[in-house]
Amino acid sequence: MNKWLSRFLVAAVFIALGFWGWRVCFPSPEAMIRKRLSELAKVASFSSNDGLLAKAWNASILGEFFTPDVQVTLDVPGAQHTISGRDELLQAAVGARTAVSSLTVEFPDIKVTLANDNETAIVNLTATGKVPGQRDFYLQELRMRMVKIKRDWLIDQVQTVKTLS
Amino acid sequence: MGTNAEAAQPPSLLLRVLIGRKPKRTLVRIVVLVAVSFVVFKFVLVPIRVEGRSMLPTYKDRGVNFVNCLAYLFHEPRRGDVVAIGLEAGYHVMYMKRIVGLPGETVAFHQGHLYINGRFMDEPYVKLPGDWEHEPEQVGLDEYYVVGDNRDMPWEGHVQGRPKRQSIVGKILL
Repeated sequence: MNKWLSRFLVAAVFIALGFWGWRVCFPSPEAMIRKRLSELAKVASFSSNDGLLAKAWNASILGEFFTPDVQVTLDVPGAQHTISGRDELLQAAVGARTAVSSLTVEFPDIKVTLANDNETAIVNLTATGKVPGQRDFYLQELRMRMVKIKRDWLIDQVQTVKTLS
Repeated sequence: MGTNAEAAQPPSLLLRVLIGRKPKRTLVRIVVLVAVSFVVFKFVLVPIRVEGRSMLPTYKDRGVNFVNCLAYLFHEPRRGDVVAIGLEAGYHVMYMKRIVGLPGETVAFHQGHLYINGRFMDEPYVKLPGDWEHEPEQVGLDEYYVVGDNRDMPWEGHVQGRPKRQSIVGKILL
């Protein structure tokens, strides 16, 4: 009995390891998108310790997450406009980094809906931004369209969502 | 003989307190407790931490509370209820607001006071009044009008609006 039990346990461990290895080597599109967005949150964050050069470098890395003709539609109190293209987005990112000394961006909730072809996805996410010294944190729902280009998932469209509207 | 005498010794007080006289039964109890706690705190009484000042002074920044997800099982949300409103992507972050307008009503603010269907509404919970001016807004048949208690904030800096019924996750417990 004990022999069979130990064999069963060893087999279960091997199956679990194989499953884990498969998931690591061949992640699902959803896992890749989630990983990409968590990287984006890190790159979009910056601290007051970062120098001007580091901030500019981080802002330029930000461009790697978007398609060249990305469309960002902002409709929030105090800012209602559209950003067209990666260059304009980078300018806005650099501008934001000079306006605020420090920012921590997080995406606590991400909901991915893949298209049938597994080449595009609609992503609903909750974005939070914390600025040191401010009592309230900034909360915004976003809807993104991501496209797969050369094994990389890039953001093609971003629009703000009004939850309480 | 000596071995038997050792085996007959009762377990130490510490072991008895920690795992009891019957370890199997203790294990079952622990499993049941963990399972019940998981279900209760995941689906029934969801713990939350309040962040922000829009519900001051009723709910202070960094306070801890619970969302009663079963509160609206047998009746619909009522005016004055403080509710948690979920977002589309998930429930790790939710809005905490008070219901002031019910489906089909019109909500307006004049000189900081709330008007429902054109009639003044007394709001004893508002301790930080403001001077909001907002044109009458029609609440949809599947919507509620929610707002925070802190009216001392500027209108633009305060999140308020008309979430759909399905977005209301539950009622704040305490």
